[in-house]
Amino acid sequence: MESLNKLWLSTGLANFELGQVIMMLVGCGLLYLAIARNFEPLLLLPMGFGAILTNIPVAGFSEVGGFLNYVYHGGIETGIFPLVIFMGVGAMTDFGALIANPKTLLLGAAAQTGIFATLFGAIALNAVPGIEFTLKEASAIAIIGGADGPTAIFLATKLAPELLGAIAVAAYSYMALVPIIQPPIMRALTTLEERKIEMAQLRPVTKIEKVIFPLGVLMMTIFFLPAATPLVGMFCLGNLMRESGVVDRLSSTAQNELINITTILLGLGVGSKLSAEAFLNIETLGILGLGAVAFSIGTASGVLMAKLMNKFSKVPINPLIGAAGVSAVPMAARVANKVGLEANPHNFLLMHAMGPNVAGVLGSAVAAGILLALVG
Amino acid sequence: MNSMEQQFLEAGTLMVAGMVVVFAFLSLLILFITIVLAKLAVKFPDPIAPTTNRSNKKNKKAASGEISPAIVAAISGAVSRYRQQHSETNSKK
Repeated sequence: MESLNKLWLSTGLANFELGQVIMMLVGCGLLYLAIARNFEPLLLLPMGFGAILTNIPVAGFSEVGGFLNYVYHGGIETGIFPLVIFMGVGAMTDFGALIANPKTLLLGAAAQTGIFATLFGAIALNAVPGIEFTLKEASAIAIIGGADGPTAIFLATKLAPELLGAIAVAAYSYMALVPIIQPPIMRALTTLEERKIEMAQLRPVTKIEKVIFPLGVLMMTIFFLPAATPLVGMFCLGNLMRESGVVDRLSSTAQNELINITTILLGLGVGSKLSAEAFLNIETLGILGLGAVAFSIGTASGVLMAKLMNKFSKVPINPLIGAAGVSAVPMAARVANKVGLEANPHNFLLMHAMGPNVAGVLGSAVAAGILLALVG
Repeated sequence: MNSMEQQFLEAGTLMVAGMVVVFAFLSLLILFITIVLAKLAVKFPDPIAPTTNRSNKKNKKAASGEISPAIVAAISGAVSRYRQQHSETNSKK
């Protein structure tokens, strides 16, 4: 009888707590979004599964000595996984459109307004009872507006590791929602005539420009913002491997096998932070709300900046490409292209929008460096 | 309440400083691209190897006795026009 009782006590059914069940359902929700709705499946699928694994009673996945505990402390807390992913993203990025039209860097800069405006929002939320964000936590939440997953995870682990789960879920969910969140804002802030604007063809970019560019970016970061060098440095390394043309094997590994392996472990590690006590609270709701605000402000400021540039520029600039300044590569550029095509079926903005899009990646890495330098 | 005001002030300072630095950094990058990279592009243009190879191949073919159909068409067109003109002037005479 006693052994039967012991056996019963070792089952999941006897040990389940309500919070764990709810968090498993949250994990299932993420799996649903990934599989049925195709929302950022590469990360939401392992993240959702990680949330289920970490909430299994008795198994102790996330306790000392557990698999997910090692994954989290070894790869995420140390910052290794986000940085390796950033290197892979660098190896996948073609800066050609940006080098051909460098003015679009200003659009990438303007879209970072979303990050800093959200800081205000996070502090303002402290007026709500039950929410108490410090400046560090507010900064980690604000980076969701950068629409860059690895940057958000990197900054959250440095500034507010206790909020990592909610921040990562919000960042990746909103990145998946870019095609739904952005178009209404883009249409509201532009006239039909502006959306119809066709842009001049980009000049061809030589190989030497593409090789020197990542080195130049790195030098500038070393001189002016060394706090951003972990992110920018790894990004530039990946990009140099791609553009130099002499290490195709390394470049291919960085943008395929390595980034894939790291994405699985990163997803699982972030999922392991989705425990009931860390996620089921009013602060998570606040973070999800602030994430949407950050995205919207970023999109709006990018579009408004592009409108302003169009007024003063000799060559026409379609304001829609400003929305791509919020990184989320290449989804935001595709959205700009799609909205442009709706207004003018001969208007192909994709390549033009890739400029601000990759500028947004640099912009959010720079913004993360500033937050680390000033708040961290 | 006082601490919240202070936090707002800090957030405001952070926002202004952050946006200034982001704009300044990316503007410097614009200068770098327009001054350094554009000059490099003019000094070291990409070699246009594939097109020269193709023309070489064509030349080689021509040299080895094979005349491309386009050239044949052009020559025959010119010859027939010459003959037409010639016959017209002859008939006028």
